[in-house]
Amino acid sequence: MNPFIRLENVSMLYGNNGVSAAALRGVSLSIDAGEYAVITGESGAGKSTLLTILGGLQVPSSGTVLMKGVDLSSLSADRLADFRRETIGFIFQAYHLLPYLTARENVMVPMSPLRTGAREKASLADGLLSSVGLSGKEERLPSELSGGECQRVAIARALVHDPSVLLADEPTGNLDSATGEQILDLFSGLHKAGKTVLMVTHNRGNLMRATRSIRLHDGLVAEDRG
Amino acid sequence: MNIRKLAWKNLFRRKSRAVFTGLGIFLGIGTFVAIASLTAQMEQAVRDKLDRYGANILVTPRTEDLSLGFGDIALGGTQVAHSRLTTADEKAIRGIGMKERLRSVVPFFMTAADASGKNLVWMGMPGTEIATARPWWKFTGAPFGEKGEVVLGSEAAAALDKGPGGTVTSKGKTFRVAGVLHPTGEKEDGMVIASIADVRSLAGSPVGVTFFEVAALCKDCPVEDIVAQIGDALPGARVSAIRQVVESRKAAVDQFRKLGLGVSAIVLAIGGLMVFVTVMGSVQERTKEIGVLRAVGFRRKAILSLLFWETGWVSLLSSVSGALVGVAAAMLAAPLFGVEMAEAAFFPAILGVAIGMALGLLGTIPPARRAAALSPTEAIRSL
Repeated sequence: MNPFIRLENVSMLYGNNGVSAAALRGVSLSIDAGEYAVITGESGAGKSTLLTILGGLQVPSSGTVLMKGVDLSSLSADRLADFRRETIGFIFQAYHLLPYLTARENVMVPMSPLRTGAREKASLADGLLSSVGLSGKEERLPSELSGGECQRVAIARALVHDPSVLLADEPTGNLDSATGEQILDLFSGLHKAGKTVLMVTHNRGNLMRATRSIRLHDGLVAEDRG
Repeated sequence: MNIRKLAWKNLFRRKSRAVFTGLGIFLGIGTFVAIASLTAQMEQAVRDKLDRYGANILVTPRTEDLSLGFGDIALGGTQVAHSRLTTADEKAIRGIGMKERLRSVVPFFMTAADASGKNLVWMGMPGTEIATARPWWKFTGAPFGEKGEVVLGSEAAAALDKGPGGTVTSKGKTFRVAGVLHPTGEKEDGMVIASIADVRSLAGSPVGVTFFEVAALCKDCPVEDIVAQIGDALPGARVSAIRQVVESRKAAVDQFRKLGLGVSAIVLAIGGLMVFVTVMGSVQERTKEIGVLRAVGFRRKAILSLLFWETGWVSLLSSVSGALVGVAAAMLAAPLFGVEMAEAAFFPAILGVAIGMALGLLGTIPPARRAAALSPTEAIRSL
């Protein structure tokens, strides 16, 4: 069976004024559908870079990224945007909700370019908010929600297009431990529901829930435990 | 939620930026619409006056100046008329191809005759045509009726020491003075004005016409064509257009319009620049937001669309409000520019809204392209 995600010898160099630094140095790994993988490592190890490459937000300096058999580097910017919308859900540490939109509207944002009716969009958003435990808070602005609630809205937003994979960058990094646990429960639930989850984290507690742990060190895979 | 609504919501989030973006367009369109509207009204007023103040074509007998002299000694000159005009010529004028453009054809007959012992010029014209041919005349008393009444020019009245109710005699006939003409500054101030039939009778010329004044409805029509047609109908007459005053007024309006459009163009250019600068600033400020939108699957076209909708809303609101203020300002200022009946001119307003929209959208093209080209990589660095 082909892996869901395959990285082949992926390197990423950041250059500035003729000086380049390698964030990733020939990383190769495969992730199967339905895995719950956490990516750990110290600051500067290349975790976030790896996540953004996996999400098609960055093109690696060299190497190949295949997701569902599609070479991401072969896609045009617009096709890549479509692929992201259909396949990947992003969750950021700082939530990145639009502050002038309500919780419902934030969840509806990824659907904005689509011609789906407003009621249908709102109904889907309300259903997703309910599934992450935010029933009754659909009309609240991010400033009226707690950090945990904001992250739940961000998760609901990531689920709008029913993606196969969720990429989460330190999703509990801005939350207290109790709220963080609740968010991790949500991820566990999504994983059980069949989603592939890739999470960058510093939180050792996350390792207990994951089916796989990948540790990066200096841009290389230092440890890969399934 | 759709892109239109997303754009609208974002505008409310950044009200002061939106107001600043729209201000340039508002001022530019307001100025443009006010000036375009005002000049349109001024041109209309000129045309109305041209029609209202009667004649714009004069038909006189063709004459030639003959110089009299002997060798280098000049003895003055004399005019020789080739033919005389008669009442029959009025029919010929009214029969031209563009006859539907003729508002009035008024015959005048002039003669010098005795008036209660003083030799004065008598001017005859149909009493029914006074309001058409000389609408600016004002009287003490009343205008003359068709027969047996006269109106005295102000100087003639003073010379004869006559006023309304008095009488003037000429060649054994007595005429009642119906009124005295208020001073006009023209030659008729020294004339006796009466019905054309009475004046012809005094001159013994029952069908004579000294000249015709023709009023043509010349809104957007070439008066030269009418002149040519009358000339063809009356080969023995000299037909000329009275255009000097109108042309000079038109020239003044044209200059005002050119100046106004120049000012509008400058203000509009500044407005466009303001749109460019503020939208560019907005793109810089919203790099993170654009990155998030790209991450959740917005295509470049969707980002372009978002920015165009934002500027579109601002441009529409500021153009419409600028156009309304411009129309209102033009109406208020119209009396100061000689427009008696100020009217709302909607064409400049519609044009102004279209220009404002175009300006806003044009000013958005470079920053929107930059935003759409923004790589998620660049954007996510701030995530």
